[in-house]
Amino acid sequence: MISESILEGEKVRLRPMEPRDLPRFVEWLADADVRRWLAALADPPTLQDEVEWYESTRENEDNVLWSMETLDGQLIGTIELRLNPVAQRAELGIAVQDKTQWSKGYGTDAIMQALDYGFDELELNRVELTVDEANGRGRRCYEKCGFTAEGLLRQHRFVEGQFGNTVVMSVLRSEWEARR
Amino acid sequence: MGSAPIVQAPAFQGDLVRLRTPERADSANFVRWFSDPELLHWLHLSEGPQITEGAWLKNYEEVREDPGVIVWVIETLDGWPIGHLGLNHIDPVHFRATLFISISEKDRWGQGYGTDAIRLVLRDAFERQNLRRVDLITDADNARGIRCYEKCGFVREGLLRGHRLRYGKPLDMVQMGVMREDFRRGA
Repeated sequence: MISESILEGEKVRLRPMEPRDLPRFVEWLADADVRRWLAALADPPTLQDEVEWYESTRENEDNVLWSMETLDGQLIGTIELRLNPVAQRAELGIAVQDKTQWSKGYGTDAIMQALDYGFDELELNRVELTVDEANGRGRRCYEKCGFTAEGLLRQHRFVEGQFGNTVVMSVLRSEWEARR
Repeated sequence: MGSAPIVQAPAFQGDLVRLRTPERADSANFVRWFSDPELLHWLHLSEGPQITEGAWLKNYEEVREDPGVIVWVIETLDGWPIGHLGLNHIDPVHFRATLFISISEKDRWGQGYGTDAIRLVLRDAFERQNLRRVDLITDADNARGIRCYEKCGFVREGLLRGHRLRYGKPLDMVQMGVMREDFRRGA
């Protein structure tokens, strides 16, 4: 579903995604640098692909999706929680797609908002994610947000003609509460 | 007029088991198996609603048309269905899939049926389907299962804390994976 909740942090705002956001995603995802760490995207998506993704996510109760923007309203990417309600867990997916906005702490701030929402509003017990072992910037960001590495999936992804490992990370409700 | 492709799993025979495609007539066995609390104890299904015949048949039709999933019924060589196994998240882009298995007739536990069945499926995954990696997750306290997976070549890759609930309480799960080269060495 497209989240109706607007979450505001110190640097970014998570807001409901709108169809007018989609052409920017197409433009950014045409760049191999931006797709490099997104395991789900081997090829650049077309506008049609993005529209279909948006429509199907909107119908999916277990997928909570936001657009991410700076506090002055510039769209910079997406963030989502893919829920498993029976297990009270979610998988976090984030992409700061505007690469001119990398390394400014936007991703960290956005994740903190999504974690607050996941543990407080959705009453999750665990939020997990997977990250390419070679994505040092991503892994540092996730550690800052409280995630702990708990597994290494060998030869888990085939990117640019090579097999790479994937790290599984998670943060538990008890850890999140202890940070406050 | 075309219809959706139906992914037909090849049938296999090992030393102890035969693997065949599920049929609608299997629904009664699955509903009986998945209403057994001792079996559900080890399955994610333990926290969900009781599976009905209607729900099983609906899932059966979906799975038949999903190229990312293959399911086999496990039978003894004399033709008794004792459980099922399969691969899901079959991903030809990343050459990987995830294994699931349940030996559901409890009086068949601990006799090597699961190991025999898994070896057949891994051979299919690595040889016919050309995958490089098969993974699974299992309850951290499922010592019998973990021993079986290790016998088949799976290696522990991590511990997922509180990954599922059992009777409403968080339960750790072990992440395991087997690479094609590990399997070939051991097979």
